[in-house]
Amino acid sequence: MESNRSFFVQLQVLTKRMVLRVVRRPLAELPNLIISAFFLFVYDGALGGVFGGSASGTPFDFANGNFINFILPVSIVSASLSGAASGIYLVEDIESGVFKRYQSMPISRWAIILAPMNVGALRVLLQAGLILLIGKFIGANPEVGNVGFFIVLSLAFIWGMGFAGYSVAAGVKSGSSQGAQAATFLFFPAIFLAPTFVPREQLKGWLETAAAYNPTTYVIEGMRSVMVQGWELDTLFRGYLSATSFAVITLTLAVISARKATEKA
Amino acid sequence: MLAVNVNNIKKTFVTKQETVEAVKDVSFQVEQGEIFGLLGPNGAGKSTTILMLTTLLSVTSGKASILGLDITTKDKEVREKIGVALQDTGIDNLLTGKELFFTTCRLWGYSKKDSEKRTLELLELVGLTEAADRRVKTYSGGMKRRLDLGLSLVHSPEILFLDEPTTGLDPGSRRVLWEEIKRLRDNGVTIILTTQYLEEADELADRLAIIDEGLVVAEGTSDELKASIGGDVITFSFENDLDLKNAKNVLYDAIEDKGQLRITVEDGAAKIPSFINDLNKNGIIVSSVSASKPTLDDVFLEVTGYRLEGSAGTDSSNELEVK
Repeated sequence: MESNRSFFVQLQVLTKRMVLRVVRRPLAELPNLIISAFFLFVYDGALGGVFGGSASGTPFDFANGNFINFILPVSIVSASLSGAASGIYLVEDIESGVFKRYQSMPISRWAIILAPMNVGALRVLLQAGLILLIGKFIGANPEVGNVGFFIVLSLAFIWGMGFAGYSVAAGVKSGSSQGAQAATFLFFPAIFLAPTFVPREQLKGWLETAAAYNPTTYVIEGMRSVMVQGWELDTLFRGYLSATSFAVITLTLAVISARKATEKA
Repeated sequence: MLAVNVNNIKKTFVTKQETVEAVKDVSFQVEQGEIFGLLGPNGAGKSTTILMLTTLLSVTSGKASILGLDITTKDKEVREKIGVALQDTGIDNLLTGKELFFTTCRLWGYSKKDSEKRTLELLELVGLTEAADRRVKTYSGGMKRRLDLGLSLVHSPEILFLDEPTTGLDPGSRRVLWEEIKRLRDNGVTIILTTQYLEEADELADRLAIIDEGLVVAEGTSDELKASIGGDVITFSFENDLDLKNAKNVLYDAIEDKGQLRITVEDGAAKIPSFINDLNKNGIIVSSVSASKPTLDDVFLEVTGYRLEGSAGTDSSNELEVK
């Protein structure tokens, strides 16, 4: 029998294996998938009446009468945090000893590390895509046209990979899936110390300062720019810059921690 | 060429709290095509030795090679030659046996077509064809061990490392696995296995090393080790603790073990009457006495000073009991 050990084949095989794991425990995965959609409905139901069409012509009209356009990025950013599952998948393999089995074989260590991140990326795309579909269905209509949906999705993807890197680094460092899970609590300051429900100009005091230093702010504003304002290239650029910088930093941390994890003791 | 050549390897773990010498000095040689057993209790250093030899753990000092390849400088090449089934190696419970074999074949570089073929061969080899499409979480402990063994054979390794392959299995499953291990040996695979079961070492290993506290304390074939302590083992039991205590002053060379005294002598059955006479002269009442050929258990006791937990004691088939 011939043997051909390509990095890409190994990555594809390991990713497929992990996808099978995800698909075979739907009860563990489905709640995460639908929670962002649930919050989209809650935000729209609770706040749409105040900030929606009835606010037209008042200072509370943040989105030209279409509150869904304004609030959709918040749900998308929440959904993109599902990339954090990558760290949990990797640590599960470490805890179960599967990681050690792969280490005893001549497999690329990068393939072992990248496979869960691939699955995290797929989750982000699936979850954010689902929210966008629901948003479209209930009235989201990007100011720049449908291309706006793809811009929002691409920002969500980069942001999600940033969280994937963060969770891998935190998971490997803590050495337990509970540790990786606990690390996702970063979600709360990330999402709520930002212009989540009102534009940044409306924030006051310490929250305004915290939001200015929170990279999530710029990602949400980048998404909102195409959904509400139209082509504001500098806002969009800041959004991409913020998401990409976060992803580069956390992925570097993930690589460093993963390298340590695969080194011989 | 030797299959495995280990010379004075040592492993020390240094943490902030303490320094632990898990393996102090281990040396042994394994010929190609033999089953070599590492026998010892938990914490003796068996698994650490295996982790070093399988390139999963660095060596603090000393040298070891697999088929002439240095485990430190040629670790990638070593991994090509070996199959590994470790005690704490994981199996993905959410996949089926067939999917696991197929995935492992693909990772070893087989094409899809070859992977399908090899998967069927291996399922047959380890007797899991009927359970192939069931998720592994539904497998019994014995089936999981056979699956683990099969996964370590995907690339037809020349040397197989098995770390406590039958720990936790029922006697029936253990015997099935033994037969499979022997069959592999008969097909030319060199096998290094660790075990804490004397019976397993006796049954499987062509040669074995007894490891205790990170050191090899005895090495040879099972028969050589038994012969090394010489003669027969006579075991005395007493009515009470006082007799036991007094008897130790009469039988100077005896070793106390579980409330009994054991002494190793040539032609044990013939010498029993004179021992009993000596004890009786000192007012000591012997409640029972037996003579038997030495077992691995006796060898272990002789070289370490204690018994392996759960060991059977003397070989009853040769026992002569006197009341």
